[in-house]
Amino acid sequence: MILISNDPFELIEQYLERVRIYLPMDSEDTIIELQTHLIEEAERIGNGTMTTGSALMAIERMGDPKSVANEYTGSGVKVGIVPAEYVVPLSRVAVVLVAIVLSLTVGFYLTGVTLTGLFGADVQNWPLTIPLMIGINLIIAFIIIGVILVFDREKPPTEKTVLESILGVGVQGLRPKERLDTAGDFVMGILWGIILMLPGVVVMYTDSYERIYMGIVVFLFLGAFRGALFYVGGENNLNLTVETILSLLWIAIASVIVATNIGFPLDSLYMYDGSTWRLESFATLFTEDGTQLAPFDGIWAVIIFITVAVAVWRVIVSVMKISVYLRDGKGLWWRGTWGERRRLTKPFWKRSRDSGEGVRKGIIYRDGTSESDERQ
Amino acid sequence: MQCLPCADTDLNTGIIEVNQVSMSKKTQEELERWSKEVKRGAVTLAILALLSKKRAYGYETVKILDEKMSFLALEQGTVYPLLRRLEKRELLKSEWDYMDPTKPKKYYTITKEGLMALGAMAKDWSRLSREMREILTEVE
Repeated sequence: MILISNDPFELIEQYLERVRIYLPMDSEDTIIELQTHLIEEAERIGNGTMTTGSALMAIERMGDPKSVANEYTGSGVKVGIVPAEYVVPLSRVAVVLVAIVLSLTVGFYLTGVTLTGLFGADVQNWPLTIPLMIGINLIIAFIIIGVILVFDREKPPTEKTVLESILGVGVQGLRPKERLDTAGDFVMGILWGIILMLPGVVVMYTDSYERIYMGIVVFLFLGAFRGALFYVGGENNLNLTVETILSLLWIAIASVIVATNIGFPLDSLYMYDGSTWRLESFATLFTEDGTQLAPFDGIWAVIIFITVAVAVWRVIVSVMKISVYLRDGKGLWWRGTWGERRRLTKPFWKRSRDSGEGVRKGIIYRDGTSESDERQ
Repeated sequence: MQCLPCADTDLNTGIIEVNQVSMSKKTQEELERWSKEVKRGAVTLAILALLSKKRAYGYETVKILDEKMSFLALEQGTVYPLLRRLEKRELLKSEWDYMDPTKPKKYYTITKEGLMALGAMAKDWSRLSREMREILTEVE
């Protein structure tokens, strides 16, 4: 028997995470309604107090997460060869996979790494091989899912299935930005923009980077503006459009950087010689017998690759989200959601008051039984 | 098998003297199918009628309907999506209450459009009930 949780709030949270897998994007309202329902039902069962056992019972009564989600989205039919209940999670996973492939491909392309060079294989009929590979992988995935479904068949609603662990990949990948992160984007964008403009920093730049650094500064300030927009309005079509434009802009800037051979931005560093700070060039610091010791251009290529891959990912995800929101009849601006989940934890004053009387510790096992105080 | 109401009890006509035990499988299936169809129409009316008296959140609505409407035997899986659909059709509007952060409540209220729809539906329902009673009495 495997311990799942002994905290009723955590138990409900885990259950709702599983329901979320099968729900379309922007279903936070549904999740919160279900959360309130489960807590109130658990409290009713526990005669006013939610215990581990009563939470478990409320979850059992609500039923299989897949069925619960499908009561909201409709079920019982097939879309192509896929049963309707798996359409949302599978399409989410497919989008994530395609986005990862495209992000890596564009990143590699921009930094000059070819697939042939990367894998050492002779890739022919490019770019036809990409959809072909995706297709073959999807068929393999369907077969694997079919086998996993057989093992998941007997699992109770309180237990996460193997399939849900796989299908959950897309949920994390497409979750809106957390509000704290958006505040971070704003603050760091402004901070780094100012740092990059400081005369003391500018003198460290290479000649080629000095010609374009103001473009990077403007981009950082625009990034701060995007952070502020997401902080105020959450995820909505205007903010996603700004995100798309800025990501495309960064891909363009990166293309210019790569095309014009702008290498590592710095060519010198401040050194303290015991009394004063003075600039020391990399040529004297990291070169021995005419050989450069630190692979700065390699580091620079990795940085460009990562930022371009992230930008492509953002473009794909944003465009997909915008199309979903437009299909739902949403306009340009509304108070959208943030990625942060309301933690299902009690306020500390309530927790200390209840400790030892209301919520007693219990253990939930894999087979769904519990050592709680629930004896119904 | 869910306990279904006997025809003689509900209609009070005495036409068919059947009970749960003596009901054939075919009759049970027909009754289930018919009940499902009747419920489908009745549940919208019941929710609109309930919310025309007072605003309520999802769990509250489920519990009140569960207490008052044993025939409908509504579960959360029916009520929540329906509340959402009615809101989308602008018959209801909703407002979040975050007073208790662990249990945010989405309160539903009937709109002017909803009240008008409720009035028209209630009128039709009364006519249907009256005419059904008449036709069933005639059969008797």
